[in-house]
Amino acid sequence: MSIAGKKIGRYLFALFLIFSMNFIIPRAMPGDPLTNLLGEDVALTDSTVELLRSEMGLDKPWSEQYIDYWWGILHLDLGYSYHLHSAVSTILLSRIKWTLMLSLPSVVLGALLGTFMGALAGWKRRSARRKMEASSFLMIYCTPPFFLSLMCLYIFSFRLGLFPLKGFYSTGSPIDIIHHLLLPVLVMTLFSSSRNYMIMRGSVLQEKCNLYAAFARAKGLYDEEILFRHIFKNALLPIITMLALDFGFIFSGALFIEIVFSMDGMGNLIYDALMSRDYPVLQGSFLIITVMVVSANLLADILYGHLDPRVSRY
Amino acid sequence: MNCRHIKNRLLPTNTSLCSLVLFLSFLLMALLAPVIAPYDPYIRFEPYRSPSLEHLLGTNDLGNDIFSELIYSSRVSLIVGFGAALMATIIGTVIGLFAGYFKGTPDEILMGITDIFLMIPQIPLIIILAAFLMPSFYLIALIMGSLWWTSTARVVRSKALQIRETSFVEAARSLGFSDMHIIFSDILPNIVHVITPKFLMAIASAMIAESSISFLGLGDPTAKSWGMMINFAFIRGGFINDYWWWYLPPGICITLFVLSVVLISYAFEESEEAALRIE
Repeated sequence: MSIAGKKIGRYLFALFLIFSMNFIIPRAMPGDPLTNLLGEDVALTDSTVELLRSEMGLDKPWSEQYIDYWWGILHLDLGYSYHLHSAVSTILLSRIKWTLMLSLPSVVLGALLGTFMGALAGWKRRSARRKMEASSFLMIYCTPPFFLSLMCLYIFSFRLGLFPLKGFYSTGSPIDIIHHLLLPVLVMTLFSSSRNYMIMRGSVLQEKCNLYAAFARAKGLYDEEILFRHIFKNALLPIITMLALDFGFIFSGALFIEIVFSMDGMGNLIYDALMSRDYPVLQGSFLIITVMVVSANLLADILYGHLDPRVSRY
Repeated sequence: MNCRHIKNRLLPTNTSLCSLVLFLSFLLMALLAPVIAPYDPYIRFEPYRSPSLEHLLGTNDLGNDIFSELIYSSRVSLIVGFGAALMATIIGTVIGLFAGYFKGTPDEILMGITDIFLMIPQIPLIIILAAFLMPSFYLIALIMGSLWWTSTARVVRSKALQIRETSFVEAARSLGFSDMHIIFSDILPNIVHVITPKFLMAIASAMIAESSISFLGLGDPTAKSWGMMINFAFIRGGFINDYWWWYLPPGICITLFVLSVVLISYAFEESEEAALRIE
């Protein structure tokens, strides 16, 4: 019990630290914090600047600003984007659903594909087909995500014209949206499955030389039975953290794919905010991502303890 | 299906040999850039030339020879990769050694810090810092290095916990050697084989991250790196005009180098009797 308490305390502390970092970064960076908080291409007169400064509390001492900052977060107020003329939380909410449509299927598919194929590859390592498979997954694993996306966009959309060049939709009908999503989902699935594949493969390779596997074989079980009934469960353990983290990075994991395919989700929002130096949006996105990542870690910890009782024993 | 199989390579041995050759040739390319490159990468020729004997990969929008640019770019890409990885490995090793050797309260504190760092969303944070700071590539390497030491620290700690109980450490302690001496000259040499694959994987991820950040246009604009080359090709019409010789070679270089590093790292891990799981 005290271990769980300590863990939760650690998570809260991490959250607190990262949120505080988010407060400090725009204020400690070179330049006027007002510009850092508003974004650089907002042109204002001197009197408005002073007005805004007092409105945003930048003329107050840091300690008071810090309290105000937390007050805002606890009221789900992430600030106001002067660049997009809207509250940051509204912008984020409108973008999140599009990103989820792209990343949720990819993460789920990638998890299933990666673990099963990885398990089979670790089990039957010597067959020529598995070797081919392993090398191609390794190639994908080693390619920078943006580069592979660019190549796929170039070959399948630009050259072959099989898929649309950009965006989430052109007419808005479900089939149209699916047509737009197909290629990016495929690329992202390849990435997430390639990583899961490599981990799962290594994990099965290690597990299968344990005594219980030899015993299952001596008992006369079939190959598939040994793998999926006995080894799979144990081999799955190291991958659980990765899967949980996939869900933690569900908003930002698709960043580069969204940018390359010009899809207006969270990733492109972050990119646009970078290009126009729209700091409130950047910070808001960072906060959401942080909350997701920290809760995913917590989830992984809980899941891990449930699936492997040996962990919670010490 | 017995354990001896594990000792065999993930991919055949000639693969790891090939990757070593590839790795070394990239290193040589970076070291000997002025000798290999036919031109200075800043000299201007006629822009947008197609590949020819004179310019093996043509010229870019400024008229720089792309082949020479490619060779010189390996320097920045490798410096960022190695720099970040070196820093991450040193921090991770020192923290892991201290936590594992001293156990108890120092261990609790150091591993608590590690857990917190593990929870920072690193790529978004690097992107935001890069946006605010407009950093040089040294700074980018520094930021990555100071974020990526966590998994090294964990592995080193668990190894150090094992090794501190062995008899030769006990012997050293009873001879009156100081803690520092035991940590760095008795324990450290025995975990080098654990650190090396971690170091190599860190190089790989640092290089991918550097190219990604450069692709976003947040890299060091004064330095030429492979990621910057792709970024320039992307924003200055290399893709739309189908100049494959402009964006394809740097992408292939990154992939090949990362591949060679990852393969060497796997070979290391497996020769170490699969005591570690690939993280």
